[in-house]
Amino acid sequence: MEELIQHLAPLVKEVVGYIYPNEIELHWGLLVVVYPYVTGLVAGAFILASLVKIFNVTELQPTYRMSLLTALAFLLVAPLPLLAHLGHPEKSFAIFFTPNTRSAMAMFGFVYAWYLMAVLLLEIWFCYRKDLILWAKQERGLRKLLHRIMSLFSSDVSERALRFDQKAVKAVTLIGIPSAFLLHGYVGFIFGSIKANPWWSSVLMPIVFLFSAIVSGIALVLLIYMIATPLRGKEMDMACLNKLASYLFYAMIIDFSLEILDFIHRVYESEESIEILAALVTGKLFISLIVVQLLLGMLLPLGAIAMAKMLQMPSDLKKMIYFVAALLVQVGIFSTRWNVVVGGQLFSKSFSGLTVYKTTFLGLEGLLVSMGLLLLPFLILYVLFALLPPWEESKVSLEGS
Amino acid sequence: MNEFDPNTALSSIGGFFRRLRERWQRFPEQVKRLTVLLAVVVFALVTARTMLVPADFGKYGHYRASAVDEIVAQPIQYAGHEICTECHDDVAETKAAGFHKNVGCEVCHGPAAAHTEDVEAVQLLAPRGREGCPLCHEYLPSRPTGFPQIVSASHNPVKPCIGCHEAHDPKPPETPKECSACHATIARSKAISHHAYVACTRCHEAPDQHKLDPRSFRPSKPDGREFCAGCHDDGASGKEGIPQIDQASHEERYVCWQCHYPHLPEAQ
Ligand code: HEC
Ligand code: HEC
Ligand code: HEC
Ligand code: HEC
Ligand code: HEC
Ligand code: HEC
Ligand code: HEC
Ligand code: HEC
Repeated sequence: MEELIQHLAPLVKEVVGYIYPNEIELHWGLLVVVYPYVTGLVAGAFILASLVKIFNVTELQPTYRMSLLTALAFLLVAPLPLLAHLGHPEKSFAIFFTPNTRSAMAMFGFVYAWYLMAVLLLEIWFCYRKDLILWAKQERGLRKLLHRIMSLFSSDVSERALRFDQKAVKAVTLIGIPSAFLLHGYVGFIFGSIKANPWWSSVLMPIVFLFSAIVSGIALVLLIYMIATPLRGKEMDMACLNKLASYLFYAMIIDFSLEILDFIHRVYESEESIEILAALVTGKLFISLIVVQLLLGMLLPLGAIAMAKMLQMPSDLKKMIYFVAALLVQVGIFSTRWNVVVGGQLFSKSFSGLTVYKTTFLGLEGLLVSMGLLLLPFLILYVLFALLPPWEESKVSLEGS
Repeated sequence: MNEFDPNTALSSIGGFFRRLRERWQRFPEQVKRLTVLLAVVVFALVTARTMLVPADFGKYGHYRASAVDEIVAQPIQYAGHEICTECHDDVAETKAAGFHKNVGCEVCHGPAAAHTEDVEAVQLLAPRGREGCPLCHEYLPSRPTGFPQIVSASHNPVKPCIGCHEAHDPKPPETPKECSACHATIARSKAISHHAYVACTRCHEAPDQHKLDPRSFRPSKPDGREFCAGCHDDGASGKEGIPQIDQASHEERYVCWQCHYPHLPEAQ
């Protein structure tokens, strides 16, 4: 009790206007911000990989496997913020064993499992199977064993089998695109279907989430490519970078238009919540929404990429611009998630008051855990890169072995 | 229709399995391995599910039926307010007529089931300090307008609430509006000062006419160091709890209120 009062007392002083007693403390904090951000990266990276496969974009071949592994690394981490937020990870299996079909949140477990098992792992397996077999032949010890297990002890590298692999990858990709849309659309759906909250309740929500996911995923793959390539002492493929930047640019244009559409729609509809939302946007969310999300995270990178595309400039400068733009996009998308999750809880459902959100540093819901969860996918990715090198030169040809 | 012939039936079943095996062998190797993996995973999940999901799950709804019994078996902590009347009818009666008529006994006295079973062994606590009441009465913007609220830091500090308000029958005590009606600022500063409980009239002799014609009938004001020293000099007797100074040596060239504002004295 004492502890609770000490925690709430300073918050009460920053409340403006009238709010209901249960609105002082936000129920969804930083961890719930991290969660849609990470899932967005998964969906985005996967959709990028699928585009490469389906439309056979040759420039982007170097990033195909990389995007798949990125999606996997982030997907493995995606449920962790939720588990940490709910506080009883050991009970989570019950979601799967006693499915509650009337709960959108509970059904998300199945969307996640489907996406992980039926789409991502399957596509990666088909994609790597030949290499796994050939690698295992040249290796010894633990590595050989791991690669054998990963290939499910498969050994057929006949022409027919390889053709089947390629067909399977295509088929999984075809199922995968709607699944990736589902995965992240679902996150948007969970917010968009909360009737009582005018900041969230919008049919556009799943679509806006989806496109911001694509934006963040492409930017992430761009960043990882630009960091991993020099680290391996290789030359970056400028054609690939240019193509990635173009895709990023188009995705951002769509994302931006959707957000503007949402904005205009709200302003024109002018429901009774409009005044408090206006107060929210110009007040407590000014920095994170107008400055970070819109100016730094959207308009600045858009302008920068457009410049890099239109003007003649040395490729080193271009790389620099792409890199900074992709970084800014990440910051921007993170604050998009922040503005949705935290912003939606800052105003009172009485529409006549605003509360505040303060993160703690320590504790399960604190800053430290969130930062750990954001770093963890990179660690996993590092291990995945070591086990399943996605680089062109790691592919072994049949004749060579 | 043919007669039923066990031999042809057997051979046709055998034929079915043979064809199945041929089919399976013609499957690409990948599919076979994945099918085996899938079968293992499904089997593991189904086994885990039968083992982990409680047998009585879903009997009444989306929960464990025995959970209801477990909850029923939990010890009862609260007794409700009706049973108190049996023994504390006096308190219940006073409370029923006052502003706290809708505030349950156990909100202030804590869970009382054990007390009602054994009054001697289990004594309840009464919130006699200043912490309990503000849980409901501290000013909060989200409390409805009109709900009696105070800012406890400045509402008659130090003294316990029950010194002025009767817990079972709280009434706002009559405000001593006398001096504060006109000298509100002074009264408010004094109320949060160390002199909160030194009456105005202890320092100012105010004739009754002052309230009717204040400018013509001015109250007295302390006229020298001796006045304050009456309470604060270390020679003063029977003044426990009052900070002491030596009047003869403590800044002897000035009157006290050149340094200490008498209505909000501070020692810095
Ligand atoms: C069976 C009779 C009985 C019932 C029922 C009962 N009490 Fe009591 N209560 C007593 C007696 C007797 C004492 C005095 C015990 C003593 O002083 O040793 C007492 C003492 C108290 C005190 C002591 C306060 C103090 O510090 O002096 C409180 C508070 C109290 N009861 C509250 C309650 C409440 C609230 C209920 C209803 C949930 C309740 N009682 C029900 C008999 C009862
Ligand atoms: C608003 C909080 C509050 C509520 C509600 C309340 N009490 Fe009390 N009660 C107190 C406080 C404070 C004291 C201590 C009073 C004192 O020491 O002057 C007290 C003292 C008592 C005492 C012992 C002293 C006495 O006055 O006899 C009993 C018995 C008691 N309460 C019973 C009850 C019962 C029974 C109810 C419900 C009908 C009840 N109280 C409701 C706050 C409350
Ligand atoms: C559980 C919440 C609660 C607690 C604890 C509580 N009160 Fe109250 N109090 C109320 C309610 C409810 C009213 C009635 C308000 C109304 O009628 O609008 C009230 C009314 C009052 C009033 C009447 C004020 C007026 O001007 O109408 C006073 C004085 C008061 N309480 C003092 C106290 C004191 C002193 C305590 C601590 C012993 C206390 N309260 C503890 C809920 C509480
Ligand atoms: C020195 C006596 C004294 C003490 C101690 C005291 N009060 Fe009061 N209280 C008063 C007087 C006088 C009033 C009515 C005038 C006023 O509003 O200030 C009052 C008014 C109130 C009111 C009604 C306010 C309203 O707006 O109707 C509440 C509630 C209250 N007090 C609660 C408390 C609580 C809780 C405490 C303990 C933290 C406390 N009081 C301590 C003297 C006291
Ligand atoms: C009807 C309103 C009213 C009431 C009630 C009242 N005063 Fe005054 N008081 C005044 C006014 C008006 C003055 C003159 C202020 C001035 O001329 O500067 C004054 C002046 C004073 C002075 C300063 C005299 C001086 O010579 O500077 C003191 C001391 C004083 N009041 C104390 C009290 C005390 C103690 C009480 C309560 C017993 C009280 N007053 C009640 C209105 C009031
Ligand atoms: C501890 C003694 C003390 C108490 C208690 C006290 N006063 Fe005074 N008051 C003084 C002294 C000393 C002065 C003269 C200050 C000066 O001349 O600068 C004074 C001056 C005043 C004055 C005139 C100067 C001014 O500050 O405006 C008023 C009016 C006054 N007091 C009102 C009150 C009222 C009303 C109360 C009760 C709420 C009160 N005083 C309580 C000691 C006291
Ligand atoms: C009726 C006796 C009485 C008189 C007269 C009186 N005081 Fe006090 N004074 C007290 C008491 C009691 C306290 C301590 C209250 C507490 O802190 O609990 C106190 C505290 C103080 C303090 C200490 C504040 C601190 O920060 O610790 C100062 C300074 C002070 N008084 C100055 C004065 C001055 C100046 C006068 C003359 C205008 C005066 N007092 C007249 C009773 C008195
Ligand atoms: C020149 C300014 C000045 C004058 C005049 C003055 N004081 Fe002080 N007084 C102080 C300072 C500074 C302190 C705090 C440092 C200290 O304890 O010496 C203090 C402290 C005190 C304390 C608190 C002592 C403690 O132990 O907490 C009291 C009581 C006090 N003064 C009363 C008086 C009284 C009564 C008079 C008039 C007889 C008076 N003062 C005159 C400056 C002054």
